[in-house]
Amino acid sequence: MSAPRATAPGQRSGNVIRDSALGRVPETVEEIIRLNGAVWGNPHVAPALLEILRLRNARTVNCVFCKSVRYESARADGLTEERAQMIGEHYQGSALTAREKLVIALADCYLGFPAAVPAELAQRLRAEFSGAQIATMLVALMTFNFTSRTAVSIGGMPEGPLPLTVLPVSVTTA
Amino acid sequence: MTQTTLSSLNLDPALAAAGDCAASFAQLSRSIWEAPYLSGELLELCRLTLARLHRDAVEIAAGSPGGDATPDARRREAVLAGTVARSNAFNASEKAILDFCETYALDAQAITDEQAGRVRDALGEAGLVFLIEALGLLDARMRTARCLRDLAGAAAP
Repeated sequence: MSAPRATAPGQRSGNVIRDSALGRVPETVEEIIRLNGAVWGNPHVAPALLEILRLRNARTVNCVFCKSVRYESARADGLTEERAQMIGEHYQGSALTAREKLVIALADCYLGFPAAVPAELAQRLRAEFSGAQIATMLVALMTFNFTSRTAVSIGGMPEGPLPLTVLPVSVTTA
Repeated sequence: MTQTTLSSLNLDPALAAAGDCAASFAQLSRSIWEAPYLSGELLELCRLTLARLHRDAVEIAAGSPGGDATPDARRREAVLAGTVARSNAFNASEKAILDFCETYALDAQAITDEQAGRVRDALGEAGLVFLIEALGLLDARMRTARCLRDLAGAAAP
């Protein structure tokens, strides 16, 4: 593990965002925490689907920290570890539902370089999800992607995988 | 009636149906243009660097956020041509920031300690973290605008 390029400010508030190097930027850190709370508390997209987006992003970005975390609310919503493990390379042939596979496909469109949604997939997404649900999933993807790439860019990540840790979302929102 | 093409600069109303999370993301995005670490012009040059690397003609044509964020034409052209490193229109700190931006866009895992060190020397530790956050937000908005343009296209008769 290399040294992080920016260090945490040293406070211990119990929130993993505020207590990280992101705490060095007072102009943004509290809104980032509010944003996490608003994403996980949204009324349109269930926690299991949000967690699928988060884990697909974590896998693509290769954020070791993000990949090691599971959120309790998603577990309670039915995303068992067995199902979480299906969010991998061969997800299309997995036992995930068609709706869950569509969510992964949306994540992959967003995460592409450049991002793009093929017309046929766009039609399926619009048929399956409301405008509010699509907007919410895109805000969730933006949130997960920018925070995980921030963690990767700051550095200091272990090179190998960390043990899985099940956490309440309040570690990022309170 | 002229319809404005969706870009990272006018994205927020298109996400408003998401409610509080969209409002929070919009607020966070606005805050980067007001923070003290980077000038609006340099932030806009970062946005244009990302647009070039995403090959996103809509973003390049989208103009700028306005005010002091409007870049000098020569600097804008150098960014869009990918010639910042050999241009005399940028000082060493600006080159370090735009070089960091380019690597961030292509693969955040490829950022070197030397690149990060040069930005930290220019902006300080908080400024480095801020730049990383700002690049993530600009990039995210670009990706989402592109997805929404495709989704809207699929709805057209």
